[in-house]
Amino acid sequence: MSDSRKSEANNRPASALRDVVKIVKLDDEVAAGNAVFYKNKDFLALRAKLENENGEREEKNWDRVFLHRAFPFDDPYEYISVLDKDQNEIGIIGDLRNIEPNMRKLIEEELERKYYTPTIKAIKQIKERYGFSHWKVETDIGPLQFTVQDTYRSIIRVTSTRLFVVDMNGNRYEIPDIHELDRKSYRMIELYL
Amino acid sequence: MESQKALKERFLELDKTVGPGDVIVVLPFNLTPTARKERVDGLVGFTKDKIKVYRDGALDVEYDIANVKEVKCVPGIGCTNVEIDLGEREVLLCRADMSMNLLYATVAKRLNRYLESGVFDASFEEEVDIYCPKCMRPYPPGSNVCPHCADKKKYLSRLWDIAKPYKGYIIASVIMYFIISALNMLGPYFNRILVDDYIKAEEIPEFAGFLTVIACIFGVSLLSRVLTILRSLTMVEASNKVITKLRSMVFNKIELLSLKRVSKRTAGELINRVTGDTATVHDFVTYQLGEIVQQILVFFAVSLMLFIYDWRLALMILLPAPIIMVAHRMFWRFIHVRYDKQWTLSAKANSVLHDIFSGIRVVKAFGMEKAEMERYDKVTAAERDIAISNERTFALIFPVLGFFMGIGEFFLLYYVGNKILGGTMTLGEMQQFSAYVSIIYGPLNWMANIPRRLIRVMTSIIKIFDIIDEKIDVADKENAIDLEIKGHISIENVSFGYDDSKDVLRHVSLEIKPGEFIGIVGKSGVGKTTLTNLVMRLYDVDEGSIRIDGYDIRDISQESLRSQIGVVLQETFLFSGTIYENIAYAKPDATREEVITAAKLAGAHKFIMRLPDAYNTKVGERGYTLSGGERQRIAIARALLHDPKILILDEATSSLDTETEKQIQDALQQLAKNRTTLAIAHRLSTLRNATRLVVLDKGTVAEVGTHDELMRKRGIYYNLVMAQRQMNRMSPEAVKISESA
Repeated sequence: MSDSRKSEANNRPASALRDVVKIVKLDDEVAAGNAVFYKNKDFLALRAKLENENGEREEKNWDRVFLHRAFPFDDPYEYISVLDKDQNEIGIIGDLRNIEPNMRKLIEEELERKYYTPTIKAIKQIKERYGFSHWKVETDIGPLQFTVQDTYRSIIRVTSTRLFVVDMNGNRYEIPDIHELDRKSYRMIELYL
Repeated sequence: MESQKALKERFLELDKTVGPGDVIVVLPFNLTPTARKERVDGLVGFTKDKIKVYRDGALDVEYDIANVKEVKCVPGIGCTNVEIDLGEREVLLCRADMSMNLLYATVAKRLNRYLESGVFDASFEEEVDIYCPKCMRPYPPGSNVCPHCADKKKYLSRLWDIAKPYKGYIIASVIMYFIISALNMLGPYFNRILVDDYIKAEEIPEFAGFLTVIACIFGVSLLSRVLTILRSLTMVEASNKVITKLRSMVFNKIELLSLKRVSKRTAGELINRVTGDTATVHDFVTYQLGEIVQQILVFFAVSLMLFIYDWRLALMILLPAPIIMVAHRMFWRFIHVRYDKQWTLSAKANSVLHDIFSGIRVVKAFGMEKAEMERYDKVTAAERDIAISNERTFALIFPVLGFFMGIGEFFLLYYVGNKILGGTMTLGEMQQFSAYVSIIYGPLNWMANIPRRLIRVMTSIIKIFDIIDEKIDVADKENAIDLEIKGHISIENVSFGYDDSKDVLRHVSLEIKPGEFIGIVGKSGVGKTTLTNLVMRLYDVDEGSIRIDGYDIRDISQESLRSQIGVVLQETFLFSGTIYENIAYAKPDATREEVITAAKLAGAHKFIMRLPDAYNTKVGERGYTLSGGERQRIAIARALLHDPKILILDEATSSLDTETEKQIQDALQQLAKNRTTLAIAHRLSTLRNATRLVVLDKGTVAEVGTHDELMRKRGIYYNLVMAQRQMNRMSPEAVKISESA
């Protein structure tokens, strides 16, 4: 079997999958002029001409759409689901960077509002008491204090250098690169790596 | 978190137009509604006619409360929002970090009730607060008492109240502690006499005296050992009795608490309270308390002896002690951090192993053996590296540290040696001295750990009493009646939610006549099971009332109520024990014949008789494994044997095949005569015998009527029936699959 034929054979199941389930790529639709994100008072809205079940394009308007990241840790700007108010998916933004800047700004704003994650710049103190650890940190929005329950398990290790700390209330704090921290801060968090 | 009182005061200071009585509730917020990251200081005041939003001290925006249709708490990721629905549009009212999520959800729910009824239930603060108001530290999980601020004396005195009946034991063991400590002092004393007066004596000593000293040493040692044994026995006896009592107090309390309170905590949490926390107290009382007392006694006794002999020498020994203690602790903390890391890695390696082995079928099926091997190798290598480095550190530091800690002894040796050479001290005295020194360093190291141990045991004691003190919320009234139930149920305007943030049922009203077979249908999550839970009074309704034969169920004693309600749940639970015991669970005095009759009626007899040990077959944990359908049939038999006036079937026959289901349905129909039956089912065919059907939708009663009536109505029920019919028609296989699933 020649190489080209082999790769063709390998590709077959994938293309078959794609035939069965269609992902509506809203970034492509925006580029093709079939979809427009716009601001409706406080919220993000969408007007789009998408294919319905019969394969015909139909113009529809959503007064308010909701966004949800499919890979919030791995890549926050790729694969963003756009949902209506009953949580049904309208489509997926494959890559936010494909969308023209003005519209992209609106979407980014909506994302920033939903995902609130201060970035930790330095750790001043971690104190363990009764199964909780009390943190004092310096973040991009200023000094913060929070309490983490079951510390080791409350740290999401995305890679060996990038992590998220989740406090007892469900707030998240990102440390983009632990090696960027100063030595004192690193020492304090080293125990939990 | 700020109290409502403080928030209202702050709000009134900002807003001079409203009077103190007009403010319903005030919500704080700390994030802007836009994407900007920085924090703000804001308040949203809900008053009788307005909603006013203040940001950083200035009025931002206001809304008429009359226009508000609904208040919603919309949590994001790492932040949470309150939105209001104004009918023609939705508005984002405020946004804050997640620490306010619970507050927002709770208040939103109560505001919605306020919008409907005009009454605001302000009693939510305790539920919402997870921080101790005094020290701002969080409460331990599932507890409302702060271990920092709790009055520790109060708890100790209550522990003593429980221990009081055994005070004879305790006093005896304290006395023994004193004697043992004194005996420990005597050993070195006799040793000195032995050395000075006999072994190194100037003239030949008399042999009888020598023997007496040896005998004394022997006697002291023997007595001390015997007393130690006796003391341990007494302590073990007393502490076990106290702990068993404490443990049963905790357990009994948990059993009496309502499901609402109990399900706030996980099963593991509760088991930990019953066994873990009491075990901590037990260990402390049995082993550590006595040890602490004895070590402190020894410490003071030896210090006293040393000072009496030679105060300069005593100072030389005692002064460096704190330094050594600190050095010791620092060393252990350092080691502890490193070993903690090693422990974490080894736990990780274990969990990888566990993962691989439990998923071994998947690993093999996808041919991923090699990748998994690599994954395991990687974690074990990491563990190995840190283990080696730890052992190295330990091997290097520990002897060095030991050497430096021993340096004091060299000085001592020098000082004492000089004295002996100078003739101011005898060899025996020196020996006695060094014996005391080694005795005293034991308690010193020990005492460094006392605070930590005390904190640990105190936390456990507080957690234990926290449960014991909890108020029973679903309690019998004082004059609760025992009722002979006929089966008339009337549900009047009932609203209920499991937690404070969301109502599961809203304004449900339903009249059920005695002997009716009511089918409850609806999508999952609409509150079907909740409704039956409320009829059983596993929870108390938040609003409205449930009456049986005209009596509010809160006026009927729980024992009389539940003894006349039979339940078959979707998840059948069998206790460890025999099949017979499981069927007779709620009626332990049932005869064998009754049990067999019930089993026959439930269609269980046939398969039970196929088992080698029939009704004596052990089931439950570590017992014979029954299939889902078999378990369900045993549960049905259990409910039938109970001979209830009200029968509740919650997906009771869902894991049976159609044929068996029909058999049981027929049996149940026989049984349901003269009994009020509430049956929940997804498979609508199960409910063909129902006299009436109730369709729940979004927590309210959407449709009520007979099958024919509802089909004619072409509403929700009609659609459900049509969807199921279509599914059944699709293919015979599909039906089979859906049946057996």
